[in-house]
Amino acid sequence: MLDKAKTQLDPITVEVIGSALTTIVEEMGKAIIRAAYSTNIKERQDCSTALFDAEGRTIAQAEHIPVHLGSLLGIAEHVFKNHDLSTVRPGDVFVGNDAYTGGGTHLNDIVFLEPIFHGGKLVAWVTNLAHHSDFVDRGHAHIFQEGLRIPPVRLYREGVLQEDLMQLILLNCQVPRERINDFRAQMAANRLGVQRYQALCDKYGAETVRAAGAQVLDYTERRTRAGIAQIPDGTYSFRHDFDSNLVDGVMDLKVVIEVKGDEIFVDFPDAPEQVRAPINMVYTALLATVYFAVKAVVDPDLPANAGFHRPIHVSAPLGSVLNSTPPAAVYSRTDIGQRLVDMIFAALADVVPERIAAASTGGTLLTTSGIHPRTGRFYVYNEMHGGGMGARADKDGLDGVQVNTTNTANLPIEALEIEHPVMVKCYELVQDSGGAGQYRGGMTLRRRVEMLDHTARISAGGTNSIVPPFGLKGGQDGLTARVELSPGAKPLDRRAGILQPGEWVGMVAAGGGGFGDPKKRDRALVERDLREERISRQAAVEIYGLKL
Amino acid sequence: MTAQDETTLKLRVGVDSGGTFTDVCMFDETHGEIHVWKVSSTPQDPSLGIAGGIEQGVAEVAKATGQKVDVVYFGHGTTVATNALIVGRGAETGLITTKGFRDVLELRRQKRDSLYDIQTQKPRILVTRDKRLEVSERVRFDGSIHTALDEEEVRAAARKLKADGITTVAVCFLFSFVEPAHEKRVKEILAEEMPGAFVSISHEVAPEFREYERLSTTVVNAYLGPIMKSYLSKLQPRLAEIGIDAHPHLTQSNGGVISSEVAQNFPARTVLSGPAAGVIGALSVGGLAGFDNVITFDMGGTSTDVSLIDRGRPQMSNDAVVHGYPLKLPMLDIHTVGAGGGSIAHIDAGGLLKVGPRSAAADPGPVCYGRGNEEPTVTDANVVLQVLNPTHLLNGRMKIDQARAKAAIGRLADQLGLGVMETAQGIISVVIANMAKAIRVISVERGYDPRDYVMLGFGGAGPIHAARLARELEIPRLVIPKYPGIMCALGLLLTDLRTNLSLTRLLPLSADGAPGMESGFAGLEERAQDWFAQEAIPEERRSLIRSIDMRYGGQGYELTVPCPAGPIDGAALVKLREEFERIHKQVYGYVAAEEPVQVTTLRIEAVGLVPKADLKAHPPATGPVDAAVTAHREVWLPETGGFTNCPIYDRALLGPGHEITGPAIIDQMDSTTLVLPGQVATVDAHLNLIIEG
Repeated sequence: MLDKAKTQLDPITVEVIGSALTTIVEEMGKAIIRAAYSTNIKERQDCSTALFDAEGRTIAQAEHIPVHLGSLLGIAEHVFKNHDLSTVRPGDVFVGNDAYTGGGTHLNDIVFLEPIFHGGKLVAWVTNLAHHSDFVDRGHAHIFQEGLRIPPVRLYREGVLQEDLMQLILLNCQVPRERINDFRAQMAANRLGVQRYQALCDKYGAETVRAAGAQVLDYTERRTRAGIAQIPDGTYSFRHDFDSNLVDGVMDLKVVIEVKGDEIFVDFPDAPEQVRAPINMVYTALLATVYFAVKAVVDPDLPANAGFHRPIHVSAPLGSVLNSTPPAAVYSRTDIGQRLVDMIFAALADVVPERIAAASTGGTLLTTSGIHPRTGRFYVYNEMHGGGMGARADKDGLDGVQVNTTNTANLPIEALEIEHPVMVKCYELVQDSGGAGQYRGGMTLRRRVEMLDHTARISAGGTNSIVPPFGLKGGQDGLTARVELSPGAKPLDRRAGILQPGEWVGMVAAGGGGFGDPKKRDRALVERDLREERISRQAAVEIYGLKL
Repeated sequence: MTAQDETTLKLRVGVDSGGTFTDVCMFDETHGEIHVWKVSSTPQDPSLGIAGGIEQGVAEVAKATGQKVDVVYFGHGTTVATNALIVGRGAETGLITTKGFRDVLELRRQKRDSLYDIQTQKPRILVTRDKRLEVSERVRFDGSIHTALDEEEVRAAARKLKADGITTVAVCFLFSFVEPAHEKRVKEILAEEMPGAFVSISHEVAPEFREYERLSTTVVNAYLGPIMKSYLSKLQPRLAEIGIDAHPHLTQSNGGVISSEVAQNFPARTVLSGPAAGVIGALSVGGLAGFDNVITFDMGGTSTDVSLIDRGRPQMSNDAVVHGYPLKLPMLDIHTVGAGGGSIAHIDAGGLLKVGPRSAAADPGPVCYGRGNEEPTVTDANVVLQVLNPTHLLNGRMKIDQARAKAAIGRLADQLGLGVMETAQGIISVVIANMAKAIRVISVERGYDPRDYVMLGFGGAGPIHAARLARELEIPRLVIPKYPGIMCALGLLLTDLRTNLSLTRLLPLSADGAPGMESGFAGLEERAQDWFAQEAIPEERRSLIRSIDMRYGGQGYELTVPCPAGPIDGAALVKLREEFERIHKQVYGYVAAEEPVQVTTLRIEAVGLVPKADLKAHPPATGPVDAAVTAHREVWLPETGGFTNCPIYDRALLGPGHEITGPAIIDQMDSTTLVLPGQVATVDAHLNLIIEG
């Protein structure tokens, strides 16, 4: 385009404006976290922010939760498809969450999208997403059971709140007071982004900012290609079983990766058909997952924008669990996603061992809800638990962390107990849970939560209760995940259950897989692990071959 | 006044002991004059350099004035605690904690520090798992006891630690900030079982909620305890040897000073003491120049610290992560970026020019030093642009190899397809963009508009970049202090004694909560009075400032709201709510009028006012400003599109009232100030440069 040729900028201007664009999304992210109401956003920081150019391409994303990228990828596309852009006015705000028509990846992630105008022209979009701990105690046979489906619609028109629409949304939420205030935080963050971007345009001119954004994408593409080119050409594959206690049995998953020069093709042939359970992934969720893995392998410092996506090609059969169609349920979409990341790493283990890790834990989610005995109000407590990270080729996996595509913060016990009617009984690492190896898989953690003075509905579970995270190169598997219940508590129906006052649920995610032969582990490290009760005496002797 | 008073100079001395240099700043109370001395640091035993620096500096003053000198005050900023934390040289520490929770220290918040880097590691865990011992006890969220403390288990734990040779112990129980009885009892038992051990107790160190952050603070405090104690026990006799009996005062991260006794018990409070003193120096210099809204810009060789002073109050934060460790302590809100004069410029895999975070540091230093580094730095760019003297620095003490710097930048220029001068200027532009980003963090992200502030540029590399940075941020006015290289040492002479006390109390901001707030404040005031007594601060110099952390019920982050003295009655409650909403609106942009407001933490800042160095104003300059021009130099300026002949002024020859129109360069021994075209610099009565335009 002529326009582009006119504004070819020097690399220094691109760097300077690119840095300003990143600052905007980071500032927005901080604004949401600080102003949010619900614990899930404010303490666990389950939110993301981004800037899109006028064509809807991501030019900057704040690094919060990788899988959120999926939702951010989708919403602009759906707005463009379903709305006449010439009718978009300053102060319009689109809200959406639907996985099939709203660009979301599950209904709890509610996205706010606002156009940025400068000199009367639509120059860019600002967007943010937050995970709302709502739509709880629902069915998950199909997406209609999972919560309110919102296609991208205008919640604000030219700065005026559409009260009737807001009432409709709030009526469908179980904790409306949290929702409305979280929405305020999301609105405030977007307002900030709009002002900052406009100020940037005032300073450099809208065209220069646009050109800099476009060149940041080209720059990122070049860096990504340079990184991919370092991986030897070839076709690499890995096959593995996947389990989730939302479905029976195990699923056979396979990834085939082709590296050709500076492009990478990631294909999931023969992926199982989508299921009547919430583990399906829509295509944008699959994209976000693959992007995470590729970025981790290629260059962890790559800017998160659309330029990075260009040399990466992802495919999976339509109608499969990895590329689902309506009305497949999607709430627990990261269950499989976490495993896909491990499989991509494993497929590349022979060619880039120094950049990958053995398999890590899958997600283990606890939600409790009920009437809060101290306030008489309905409450929801929601927490994704970390576990063991897979060992790396030259170092142990991290103990007790969030892994792969999730990176939420835990809820402090003291914040939790002040707010919700529960009490944490223990929060600790689990001995012998990290897969043995020359480098040990990360240990998982145990967190037991007792219900106080109320009957709670709970949902507890995740993946890896049958198939443990695998080790690599002779490293052993990590410990399988499990949900513990206090003696006498009624067993769960898949994840759902009811706990009486005084009963507790304990979440134990899986341990990470080991890397290399445990007999080759540095004796000093085996002795340290034994001294620190990270491994038992029996494991030290029998698995690691320690002579006592 | 006796005859002796007239012949003995009373000196207040501030010593900032850094990694490379130890700066000594001496204030002559009699004449209101400042003297400066600089010596190399002695990292093996910093007290040697400190004592040596003071001895030499004081002798110089005595020689210059021909009078006897008496050191009446000694303020000290040290990096001992920070360095021990960075290099991991603290004490082997044990932990006693609630049964079931020994791994909280290691689980942290479960978040990985680096999202995409799967080769990442956690920062060193300061207490190994076998030294983290659990005892039966549990306090509920409301302070009631769920499980009584098992004292036998405490004794057994103490004995085990003792048997393992541990003499440093951290103690942290859940909800001890509400009910500290169990922690208090453990302290007593440890005194019996492990006499002489260094004990750090969570409700004393950081009595606030969020267990991991409180625990981390308590453990860091323990970890640093013995090293601080040993440092201070070496320093005092050395000072005595050179005849100084003034009681040392150490700066804390909150910008106040504490006695060495308090510093020994709470070393974690000193981890950011160096940059904090710089901010206090800037506060005073800014105040004297007539500015109480100031953004500080302290740019050194490898890093840059920025902070904001609003209406004479440096901004505080009540928690921060320092070298990977969360600290729940009141600290000045100082934001640090890893870029300075020594930062290396390079081109990354995508073809963009980046500066830092790698640094050539002081050794080998920039390419132009000719000591073997061939990668161009920010300083090299300034040498090529001739903003810095292209033949020598430090008044001729250091030779500069401009050709070498030019060749190094030329290599980058070839890769970028730009000219050498454009590339050199590009390096400066990228650094300025990084700095602007840092300043946005402490201003716009907190709801302050930088254009409402004056920028105060100091540190070795601050004055040369401040003019461009101020323009980038549209800050209309800039101050370069007389001694930009020693603001920290100067700040040490200007600090009050200061301690921050806090107490988490979850209460509604209403008549129901008022009694709890009043009793909480009463307890804090009692502790403040004890501290005043301990620091021997006379009644008339005591000041208490109350504030309350509040949030809308259900929010997770608090805002600190000033709380006037007096009873918390209906009128006070209304005022508090108004003030909370004003700040909430400023920071977050909205008010939720229908929501109740919740009090989370009560705070008291106790200040012991110290008589300050009263800097003397200078009479107006008599000679013309042109007399201060020592040379002219061709300086490359993007504003003029090429080399422009600029006058070079000697800072020492400038006096109050002198006015310099840019472009111009103002040189002094350890710093260079650039005045851009269109800017005007004037010299004020305290010899600060005020640059406008």
